[in-house]
Amino acid sequence: MAVLYPSNEWCQEWKNVINNSDAAKDVGKDWGEDFNGNWIFEITPGGGLDKTTYVYLEAKSGECTDARLIDDPSEVEVGFYCTGSYENFKAAVKGEKDFIQGVVRGTFKLKGNMMKIMKYGGFIRVVANSLQGIDSGFLGE
Amino acid sequence: MPTIDDFIRPKEWVSDFVTDLGHVIRKWGEERYMPIRQHVDEDWAEHKMIEPLLKEVLVDLGINAAFFPAEAGGTDIPDPFPCVTVICEELARIDSGFCVAVVCSIWGMVPIMFEPHRNMELCREFGPNFCGQDLYMSCHAMTEPQSGADIENIGRMHGKTIETTATLDGDKWIINGHKIWPSNSGHLADLYVVLCTTQKGSADPNDFALILVPADSEGVTSGNPYQKSGMSADLNSDVWFENVRVPKRYRLHGPGDDLKYWREAITAGSIGSTAMCVGIMKNVYEIIKKWTTERQIAGKPLKEHSIVADMLSEVAILIESTSAWMWTYVREITRPDIYGWDAWDERFLLKTRGLSLYASNAVERACSRAMDFMGSYGYAREFDIEKHWRDQKVIGLWMGGKGLKTLENARYWYDLETL
Repeated sequence: MAVLYPSNEWCQEWKNVINNSDAAKDVGKDWGEDFNGNWIFEITPGGGLDKTTYVYLEAKSGECTDARLIDDPSEVEVGFYCTGSYENFKAAVKGEKDFIQGVVRGTFKLKGNMMKIMKYGGFIRVVANSLQGIDSGFLGE
Repeated sequence: MPTIDDFIRPKEWVSDFVTDLGHVIRKWGEERYMPIRQHVDEDWAEHKMIEPLLKEVLVDLGINAAFFPAEAGGTDIPDPFPCVTVICEELARIDSGFCVAVVCSIWGMVPIMFEPHRNMELCREFGPNFCGQDLYMSCHAMTEPQSGADIENIGRMHGKTIETTATLDGDKWIINGHKIWPSNSGHLADLYVVLCTTQKGSADPNDFALILVPADSEGVTSGNPYQKSGMSADLNSDVWFENVRVPKRYRLHGPGDDLKYWREAITAGSIGSTAMCVGIMKNVYEIIKKWTTERQIAGKPLKEHSIVADMLSEVAILIESTSAWMWTYVREITRPDIYGWDAWDERFLLKTRGLSLYASNAVERACSRAMDFMGSYGYAREFDIEKHWRDQKVIGLWMGGKGLKTLENARYWYDLETL
């Protein structure tokens, strides 16, 4: 049964999908070892989402140790902060938009250690691709 | 107060990601390369200082993996031309020879790496090497002792002068030939992208071939590096192929398509060369701005003398004009939906020759004029202009030289039939 994106249930599903991925463990084994590899995804309203929503993803050594909604970005410390509209994130979750292409083309605004983004592009892509492994439901659909 | 970031770079065409990547490279260069920049020329033969720094950029900064498909472990950055342009600018600002070594590591892979003409089989086989944690470099071997411009002058010579041959023997290519000057040759190359012909003397585009040859293949030998006037971080030597056998699948695409997509690599080379010229000129601007601000002549800063302001103005104009032209062509190549030409269109190859020619003349002029107003300081290594002055010269000499660039540019604009 589909879980609503974004929600805490959806975050748990994402965590499970990442942790079940051998590819993530392989290409991400050094991710976050000597730097903060955690993320906030700031989803701006629109398309049925009526307020800004924050998804927190904790990632280290190829695994996801926590994934949940947070009320305020100041609650956590992250190394990477990504902003995008609900419509665009929805498209990425559905697999209709490539997340990395979206970052490169400016659809998603990404702040963080660019050196790590480039070095671990393979891991980021595996994590992004894992989104399609979730049976996601969407607002208004 | 203007900085080098105020020169033309259209924000609507260059994403924040690409600009941020440029700043990462800039920061890396200032922290890691600048301290040794004045000593790189002594490392021309052994690359003891240079090789670890190549690993930092190609592996740790992810440049080697940047454009390979995700399936091969790459980052798969879309729209490569703006990204490559910024990478070349930022690295060349630090050291254009080092920039050449970095970008030439993936240059020969353009025909199989860039969409929409990827060879996924070869990407899957070789991509993991480029995308792994160890330094892995390729070398695009084109020039031969008897022929450089002739080989690149494909529109008129049609590959007739290519002496390196590839003969099919069952399921193997047998490669024989001698290449000279390619970047990353000698002990650096792990993989050669060899430009050859399947029929010596042929003008048939189907006989033009690009074939991958692992550097440790039996029959591959290389010579000692050449000591050049500059570009010392770019290692160039002879490479010999004597009855080298590689699998048939190592041909990049096949008859006709090898030549077709090689054109895109040449266009990328012209754009990259131009970006290197811009990067060098931007550093010249920084150096000469500081110099003419701090240096006092006749009671006022050097830059407040009109004869000096003339030079300063010219340097700025050369940077702006080259940048504007370069980014316009990058835009055209990136948007075939608007401009109508694919990136491998021969017309881009011809047009970008003109751009590269202009840029190489511009950087030569900028370096020389800047040195004119620094006197002996400009001629001394400690003030960094002389290295750029020596390094930039080869940008005009490579890829067919200024003669070929002139002819091909005229060929496009004036429909030349015999030149």
